[in-house]
Amino acid sequence: MSLIEPFHLPFMARALVELVILGMLAGTVGVLVLLRRLAFVSDALTHTVFPGVVIGYMLGDEDGVFWGALVAGALTAVLLTVLAHRRRVSEDAALAMVLTTLFAVGVVLVSRRTAFTSDLTQFLFGRVLTVTQEQLVQTAVVTVLVAGLLAVLRRPLMMRTFDPEGAAAAGIRVGLLDLVMNVAVALVVVAAVQAVGTILVIALLIVPAAAARALSDRLVVIVPVACVIGALGGWLGLAVSYEASVYHGLRLASGGTVVLVLVVLYGLAALAGAVRKRVALGRVRLTAPELETPELEMTR
Amino acid sequence: MTQQQSRTAALVLDKASVAYGHIPVLEELDGTVASGEAVALIGPNGAGKSTLIKAILGLVPVVRGRIEVLGTTPAQARRDVAYVPQADTLDPDFPVSVEQVVMMGRYRKIGWLRRPSAADRTAVAQALEQVGLSERARHRFGTLSGGQRQRVLLARAIAAQPRLLLLDEPFNGVDAVSQHALLDAIAVLKRQGAAVVVSTHDLSIAHLACDEVCLLNHHQFGFGPTEAVLTPERLRATYGGHALELRGDRVIVTQT
Repeated sequence: MSLIEPFHLPFMARALVELVILGMLAGTVGVLVLLRRLAFVSDALTHTVFPGVVIGYMLGDEDGVFWGALVAGALTAVLLTVLAHRRRVSEDAALAMVLTTLFAVGVVLVSRRTAFTSDLTQFLFGRVLTVTQEQLVQTAVVTVLVAGLLAVLRRPLMMRTFDPEGAAAAGIRVGLLDLVMNVAVALVVVAAVQAVGTILVIALLIVPAAAARALSDRLVVIVPVACVIGALGGWLGLAVSYEASVYHGLRLASGGTVVLVLVVLYGLAALAGAVRKRVALGRVRLTAPELETPELEMTR
Repeated sequence: MTQQQSRTAALVLDKASVAYGHIPVLEELDGTVASGEAVALIGPNGAGKSTLIKAILGLVPVVRGRIEVLGTTPAQARRDVAYVPQADTLDPDFPVSVEQVVMMGRYRKIGWLRRPSAADRTAVAQALEQVGLSERARHRFGTLSGGQRQRVLLARAIAAQPRLLLLDEPFNGVDAVSQHALLDAIAVLKRQGAAVVVSTHDLSIAHLACDEVCLLNHHQFGFGPTEAVLTPERLRATYGGHALELRGDRVIVTQT
């Protein structure tokens, strides 16, 4: 299997650049999603961005998709932040209803079009091989924007993620920070819509971060490793789907293949992580047994 | 510290009532804590101890009366106030080292972008020294015992060099070694002129570490010198119908 040859084709080269950038972006933001346990937010976004994509497409064709997704994503980010800070459990059911309703609106709108199935597939699972130069630029701009945001806010974000009460006590405006964070996740989903669709983007957010977390306990290592795994998943996934389609007559959807490759990478990372823990534990036992002795806990 | 600062009260409660939305939690609290003194907040679960701490931080509104912190409003004083949450409320899987947690106490001074300076690193090292965990600096926070984690959070507060320190149930489920380390570190802070507010169930802690006691159960059942306030009658009044159950509690037994 060639990892380079397929990308001499211009459309494959564009797809590669798109997925590598996206992989790095989603990898970075994914670490925060993982640590904040924001998987639900990502999930909610996939439901609400979908009708935005459809409406954007109906109003402005291919160019409208990004802006439709952006409006829907931003609205969702605001809505979720407000709801999270109200903390009403009874609203969970209402929220789930709103999300599926919005998703259904998207499906109904698409179903009115003649090319129903192909359109639906495109919106849900993306079409990375037809990514244009312009979309590449959009993805790059979003990436620079989000990466800059995270770099500037890294200390308050870390404090808020680790200890929300302590962060508020230290004068950090937690509500505002949560809104910024939700918008960042929304931006990743929006950027990924064209390439991998609204559904598979969850994998792009969660899997590289989880794999990197398995490999290290240090944030300065986890973030770059998640970046690399995200980019690697895009590259290998594309190469595999190309190889299978061109040489083995097996048509593999590129978005889905990317996700499956990521899951394989996660499996390897989890394995390596388990080995690493064993080794580390053995070393501690050998060198400093007293460190592992817990202090007496006072019983009440 | 100037003479004027040493004379000002670190915390003044002046007929202060605190509420979450429309639900009143604490009513008509009165009392003063001077710099260099410690007060224990004592009362049953749900009495409003944590709420009072949040009100002192300016995170819960004072609906009537006044809370004055370091001569100003709670929100404005926050820069000089440090808060120590309960260690077991934090995610033990979080990928952060002990040293990094303590450095969080310096974030206010460092800002968002600047690299930590030599002074910041020294403050972190000294704070860890003070709670007796220097050799654990590079370990992951979650690998420490509950009591050690609580000490790390106190070190974080010490690194911030506060003039008022607020601790929410710091001795809950803490081992004996850590309890001593916490008490020692609090004593050092007091000597350096910081005022300390600590909520606890443990009356022996109040005796050991605190000059004053505030008995709380939605209302104030006493505020003053520890020996004068911690009487069986007042405790019974504070704990209300639960007084009999409390006889079984190791801590209360020492008092009756």
